[in-house]
Amino acid sequence: MRGLYIHIPFCVSKCFYCDFYSITAVPELMDRYIDALLAEADSYMGLSFTTLYIGGGTPSLLGSARLAKLVEGLWRRFDLEDLQEATIEVNPESAGGDLLATAYNLGIRRVSIGAQSLNEDELRKAGRAHDSQQVQDAIGAASHSGFHNISVDVMIGLPGQTEQSLCNTLNILIAAGVNHVSAYCLSIEEGTVFSRFIPPDLPGEDDQACLFQSAVDILAEHGFAHYEISNLALPGSECLHNLNYWRGGEYLGLGTAAASHTGGERFRNAACLERYLEDPSSIREAVERLDEGRKVGEEAMLRLRLLAEGLDITEMAGRYGMDALNRLEIRLDQLVNRQMLARDGDVFRLPPGGALTSNSVFVDVIG
Amino acid sequence: MINIRNFSIIAHIDHGKSTLADRILEMTGLVRKTSMDQMLDSMDLERERGITIKAKSVRIPYVAADGNEYILNLIDTPGHVDFNYEVSRSLKACEGAVLLVDATQGVEAQTIANANLAIDAGLKIIPVINKIDLPNAMIDDCSLQLYTMLGLGIEDILHVSAKDGRGVADLLEAIVERIPPPSGSVSDPLKCLIFDSFFDPYRGVIPHLRVFSGHLSSGDKIMLKSSGREFEIEEVGYFSLGLIQSENLHAGDVGYAVALIRNAGEIHVGDTIVAADHAEVSAVPGFRLSQPMVYCGVYPIITSDYAKLGAALDKFKLNDSSVVYEKENSAALGYGYRMGFLGMLHMEIALERLKREYEQDIIATMPSVIYRVIRKDGEVLMLDNPSKFPPEGEIDHIEEPLIRVRIIVPSDYVGPCMELSDAKRGVLVDIEHPDDRRAILVYDLPLAEMITDFYDRLKSVSRGYASMDYEMNGYRAGDLVKVDILVNNGPVDALSYIAPREGSAVRGRALIHKLSKTIPKHLFKIPLQAAIGSQVIAREDIFPRRKDVLAKCYGGDITRKRKLLEKQKEGKKKMKMVGFVEVPQEAFLSLMKIED
Repeated sequence: MRGLYIHIPFCVSKCFYCDFYSITAVPELMDRYIDALLAEADSYMGLSFTTLYIGGGTPSLLGSARLAKLVEGLWRRFDLEDLQEATIEVNPESAGGDLLATAYNLGIRRVSIGAQSLNEDELRKAGRAHDSQQVQDAIGAASHSGFHNISVDVMIGLPGQTEQSLCNTLNILIAAGVNHVSAYCLSIEEGTVFSRFIPPDLPGEDDQACLFQSAVDILAEHGFAHYEISNLALPGSECLHNLNYWRGGEYLGLGTAAASHTGGERFRNAACLERYLEDPSSIREAVERLDEGRKVGEEAMLRLRLLAEGLDITEMAGRYGMDALNRLEIRLDQLVNRQMLARDGDVFRLPPGGALTSNSVFVDVIG
Repeated sequence: MINIRNFSIIAHIDHGKSTLADRILEMTGLVRKTSMDQMLDSMDLERERGITIKAKSVRIPYVAADGNEYILNLIDTPGHVDFNYEVSRSLKACEGAVLLVDATQGVEAQTIANANLAIDAGLKIIPVINKIDLPNAMIDDCSLQLYTMLGLGIEDILHVSAKDGRGVADLLEAIVERIPPPSGSVSDPLKCLIFDSFFDPYRGVIPHLRVFSGHLSSGDKIMLKSSGREFEIEEVGYFSLGLIQSENLHAGDVGYAVALIRNAGEIHVGDTIVAADHAEVSAVPGFRLSQPMVYCGVYPIITSDYAKLGAALDKFKLNDSSVVYEKENSAALGYGYRMGFLGMLHMEIALERLKREYEQDIIATMPSVIYRVIRKDGEVLMLDNPSKFPPEGEIDHIEEPLIRVRIIVPSDYVGPCMELSDAKRGVLVDIEHPDDRRAILVYDLPLAEMITDFYDRLKSVSRGYASMDYEMNGYRAGDLVKVDILVNNGPVDALSYIAPREGSAVRGRALIHKLSKTIPKHLFKIPLQAAIGSQVIAREDIFPRRKDVLAKCYGGDITRKRKLLEKQKEGKKKMKMVGFVEVPQEAFLSLMKIED
């Protein structure tokens, strides 16, 4: 077992673009939730992990005491001696106080800050609960607490966003010392505020593509490598936990709506807090065991997201056998013929500039 | 025989034909006044057996006011201009017709067309004004129209409400009193008209018959006049609610015959059945093979499904012998079939059935009429596929099929209807004013214009008030050119079409624009062009897709990501690869309907 993911579903408020499962933070619920998480962890007692990722939602809403209870509880239940990376997601508005210092003292060495933008107008229109100063304060607090690995989420294509404002956001973040950026294109999902009230100044697809490319260019100037479709990092600062996802690795997810991949099965917990609090072991659903053909297709799709590393057909053949891989190779070579993939010996990669249109490639990769 | 009455109900669409038939079945006691559920149950059952409860004919026992028992054979007629020939054959099986007019709509184009068919067939006509229960019924106006437009006596007109049953009893009496009983002798040699047929998977093609003379029972040897083919009768009977086997059918009767006829192509509507040992008996006049008027290419979306499609067409043809098809090869679409249909409605129904009942994933190309292409060397080619046209330089001229259209329209909308007909290259033949509120426009119009969007447009410019009917009317030379469509610089033969030279650039631009909205963005730029020969008349580019990405991976939920991709892939399956371009099904048919 490699990755351990802990999902914290609480948020102060719902952002206008978010369709993910979240619940308003109530102290009593959060207390019970930590208990439930540890109860769920009990059933996996003794497993060993190499990465830990506490995501959400907004894990920073837990506050120091609950965070300590959670992480100490995890240490007691699991074998974390070989832990190579431990990350906590924080939102700027709840990163104050001694939270970051507590996290550091608990052994967490990587912090991912939901910045999204440093433009006040953009933050307001996206329904974020913080302003740009709070982002900079959070980065400062993280550095001050001892963190060297600081990642920020940046949203591309926010209403009103311009190349100028995006450039400004990135420059401030770089100067503040972040070494990892997750750059996500805003997409309008069903059930979100944006899906009901489409903002008039929402950048179109073409504009989004230009903004994204600008972000990649600016970050590249400062030494950031575009190592995955949505992720850029200074050398050596890539997120190990997420790399494991893209390499088709195994992971265990605890908490509501958390996804797992173990023993050849993918499954997910239901997005239902009430049932989870009642009996954390009862909400596993969507168990899926893929046949080999689909499994190969899925892993190929994931590995191709890694722009530099790519997909090594010989390496995969070593694990799945030649037969399964031959079919994949035929599909991939057809895409190479159509210039939708690049092939270099045994390694297939998305072509330069291909990250943003990767779905068109992936639909043919999954087989 | 003296107690038999064979009749049809004829009407313009939606004037209440089915409701009246239902009411007649109910009032004669053949069908109990049932709840809708029971009705539907029985319809499902009937469908399984290959016929619907509204069978092509139904035998209704009826005790008239004179105390005698009569057999009323109600023979249904298809309700669309595509099937005019079939209507005329059904009428040929009758001695009388109930001509139904909606009191709120008045006489419309198909009222006249159907009435004329019935008059030509020598039928006794009973004019009936329906929907008299509606507050906006215009009974007097309708009466006057029936008199002025069709010469029917006002005193003969009955007033009914098929909905509430008013007047239907009188109508039944009128059918008995006014329609003559069939003539013809049981002792003469057998002569039957086939006016319809259906396919039963177990018993083969089952023709619907009207017996004119002689009698028919199981074991009889029969012969089809048109082909000389002989069969042995296994079973005869008539239609009540379902098939009712009977000993025999006599002169004057309407019924069915089972003769283990495996191939639907053997049985043609309008053909005559005689006794095999009396082959000299003359055929019922007026038989012709139904001629396809509209053709289109039909291709499997996945090229390797070609054989499957062929098998489905073989089966389909058993059910609908009026379609024709032959193998066709398109450079752009691969192997497929060229199919011919009686008209646009027939085409739409047939393609829909192929998709639904026969589960074929197909694309159909733009429909075409049959052109007469006269080459410079004098050779005449009849071509239904634009991609088969010779190079422009070898063509002396092209002739196209014409139709004569009769449009009935309120006077207020005469102007827009004439503008539309002129724009569609119509030539005005006649204008009649049967009364002070309505006009009848008679136009000669290219059939090719009719199969695009003429009817839709006519309805739209007349706010739904115009009605129309048409018949074929020979060929006319036109200044026509073949327009090629190039997608990503390659000509797509299946998208070629024939159009008048005048206005071809405007139409080409409209078409290219429409295509640019139908074909999804790809990762590369796709130029779209319309060209006549080497001359490009329209061009538009589809710009590359810049963003198509699933970015956020929430807590490693790969399944969700893969499912989104699989959904996207399902959408792709509905598209045909033309070169490297994915072209959706709609692209081919949507081109038919171009706004001017």
